[in-house]
Amino acid sequence: MGNHAKNARHANAAVLAVGLALASVSGTVALAQENLFDNDGATTNERYAPTIWVDPDGCEHWVMDDGFEGYMSPHTNRQGIPVCNRGNVCGVMNTDQYFATNSYRLTAGGKQNLVNFFRTAKSRAYIIVGHTDSRASDEYNMTLSYNRANSVAAVAASVGAKIIDVRGYGERVPKVSNASAGGMAKNRRVEIICIR
Amino acid sequence: MTFVKTISVLGIVALLAGCEGGGGLVNTDKTIDYGFRSHHLSNMTAGIWIDPNGCDHWIIDDGYEGYLSQRLDPYGKPVCSEAGPPNTAVGPYKTTQTVSDTL
Repeated sequence: MGNHAKNARHANAAVLAVGLALASVSGTVALAQENLFDNDGATTNERYAPTIWVDPDGCEHWVMDDGFEGYMSPHTNRQGIPVCNRGNVCGVMNTDQYFATNSYRLTAGGKQNLVNFFRTAKSRAYIIVGHTDSRASDEYNMTLSYNRANSVAAVAASVGAKIIDVRGYGERVPKVSNASAGGMAKNRRVEIICIR
Repeated sequence: MTFVKTISVLGIVALLAGCEGGGGLVNTDKTIDYGFRSHHLSNMTAGIWIDPNGCDHWIIDDGYEGYLSQRLDPYGKPVCSEAGPPNTAVGPYKTTQTVSDTL
């Protein structure tokens, strides 16, 4: 562990201590606070078990019909990631085949592949998302993945494809473990999400 | 007279319950529309409503019930696909409804 990490841990401990102190102070104040549903009168504990509706992207939503009222909300996991039966990621580019190491300039062959892809793809719009493996710093990888995604988006736009978002997640959303060379190669990627 | 009125009001309530309320069935199973053409809620067709920020939501007009739920990409971010201008709805979102609903 480096000094920096140690300092950060000490800082966290200090923040936690302050937080606990505040919590004990607010604990006395909390007597005056109310719960969300305290004044609502009719407290019900009615069973509301939903079923699942699958949207045209293949993702699930909770849905209930209460007679006259209908309710619906996306089914996500606790991290906020939608639960989907199939993905709408329609292309995953292994960046080794499109960029030199540490570069975000497309190779001539890579550029031609992308031109062909976006000319034949029929989707109404696209989201481009860049990723790296876990080597180099987090900050460096965030920038590199974003720059690579932008390079892909520029080619797409040049042949008339509609790009609605471009993002770089660096090394933060690996597809597989970075423990092996093969795993790292799989994580070096740019994803093309097709929006119908 | 009052007795007749009471009877007819009860009759209407019973009728409404029969059409949409399911005579208490809804209380136990909220996964089915017990309306004029009973169907499981998983079989509904959606359109897209574009919110004032330009982002997509799935919209379904199922007769008496309306449903709205956010369209999310695989990372959980809103999809803002310019399917139409903000504050409009596009697509076949009224195809499941069997009740005339001019709104």
